Amino acid sequence: MKLVIENLTCAFGGFRAVDEVSFEAESGGLVGVIGPNGAGKSTLFSLITGFLAGQGGTVRLDGHDISALPPHERARAGMVRTFQVPKEFAHLTVRENLMAAAPNQSGENLVDLFLRPAAIRREESAIAARVDDTIAFLKLGAVADVPSGKLSGGQKKLLELGRVLMTRPKLILLDEPFAGVNPVLIEEISGHIRALNADGIGFIIIEHDLGALSRLAGALHVMDRGRLIASGAPGEVLKRANVREAYLGGAA
Amino acid sequence: MAFWIELVIAGLVSGLVIGLSALSITLVFGIARFPNAATGDTMTLGAYGALIGHRITGSLIAGGILGAAAGALVGVLGYLLIFRQLARRSNVALLVASIGLGFMLRAAMGVAFGHSQSVFQLPLVRPWRLGEVPIQPNDLWLALAAGSALMVVFGVLYLTPIGRRMRAVADDAALARVSGISPDRVMIALWVLAGAVAAVAGMIAGIKTVVSPEMGWDLLLPAFSAAIFGGIGSPVGAVVAGLILGVAQEVATPFVGFTYKIALAFVVMLFVLLVRPRGLFGKLEGAR
Repeated sequence: MKLVIENLTCAFGGFRAVDEVSFEAESGGLVGVIGPNGAGKSTLFSLITGFLAGQGGTVRLDGHDISALPPHERARAGMVRTFQVPKEFAHLTVRENLMAAAPNQSGENLVDLFLRPAAIRREESAIAARVDDTIAFLKLGAVADVPSGKLSGGQKKLLELGRVLMTRPKLILLDEPFAGVNPVLIEEISGHIRALNADGIGFIIIEHDLGALSRLAGALHVMDRGRLIASGAPGEVLKRANVREAYLGGAA
Repeated sequence: MAFWIELVIAGLVSGLVIGLSALSITLVFGIARFPNAATGDTMTLGAYGALIGHRITGSLIAGGILGAAAGALVGVLGYLLIFRQLARRSNVALLVASIGLGFMLRAAMGVAFGHSQSVFQLPLVRPWRLGEVPIQPNDLWLALAAGSALMVVFGVLYLTPIGRRMRAVADDAALARVSGISPDRVMIALWVLAGAVAAVAGMIAGIKTVVSPEMGWDLLLPAFSAAIFGGIGSPVGAVVAGLILGVAQEVATPFVGFTYKIALAFVVMLFVLLVRPRGLFGKLEGAR
């Protein structure tokens, strides 16, 4: 699957949070988006996933213009995001969180629920099996039946990744997956990302931990004040003068 | 002693009415995020639906099913025609729209059925006696009807895929959307349940007293009071609080007189709001 964004723009009043940003990403690829706080990175994610409408530009998935689709349909098309501060269905258990995110549940239709209970039970056990696999993959077994609101910050990050995986994504947008996570868990999450990437899932990752991100990403896009100011291989991009200027405030 | 037990039984029956209507309110509040002031008039519709169904078929069960279906239908239509269009507005806009929907329903029922009171024509049954306490068989049937409605709602909420998704939307609507959960599917299921439950509550109230176009509106305050007392957004809390409130109202009658028992609901609501805004089982809304 290939994502192409062209000239995405989003203004709040006179302030252009995202200003004519264009780039591409595809399944199997892994690109990083970096930039100082307030550069418009999270706003860009919201535009791509349909959370914000924006003032122009197009989002194309495999050639189809999806700029007008609501967020849940973009998610079903295979493009799923996470949030800077991990979100979870706090009153649902870890297992229920994962089950809720599985796609194509005919049990979400009240009529089928009462008329085709056997079919829905079969579907439920198939979903439950996938959930078990996901829980095992992320090593969340010990907390599987705990209400997710009670998890630690790091466990919530893992759960978030798990919930994203349940939607069978082709492209995952991670908003600061390493923020507030201890180094051991950063390695663990990086390992999961690498494994999934090797299986063909594409990633776009916003991250301030440049070290961890550079080890993962094949390409970096640098944003500053809403604009894309540089793109290229991590080692090369990070050496550019305008990037150092924007990102490090010229201190380096 | 028998006198007090009788009062408690009467309280439990009216508590079921309050609890079911509070359940409808709390479901809508938890998932669609606004206080639905049309709940009372949906109850009235359920009562008229059951009345008509009972007159035609002679069966209370058939009447109850017709009433519940009418409530569910109005719930879904209200969502599709009104609340869905206002989904991105503030919850004050939704509240005002629901007051308007309530007025429309009430006026329509006034035109259709007249403003005189109607009653369910039920055969008189000799009460059973448990020691000195008379038990009305009808009360048991009504409790059974309420119990089945509760079983369906809680069964759907906690044992089915759509219930899981409803609870997911209640927890975090934005996250539900990025997880590919269709808001429409969840909302339609919500309004079917909320409408049907309110209608069953209305039917029980109609059988116990009289059916009139204004009955539901008059029952709205205790329903809201119980929803807040139980912890807004908590289905279990709504039912428990409804039962407590119903019993409290009846047991208070010898002291304050029945005209004022409705005031008790208001006092409870104020007290909860001032002292424990999260209610019995609630999560603190402000913490989101």
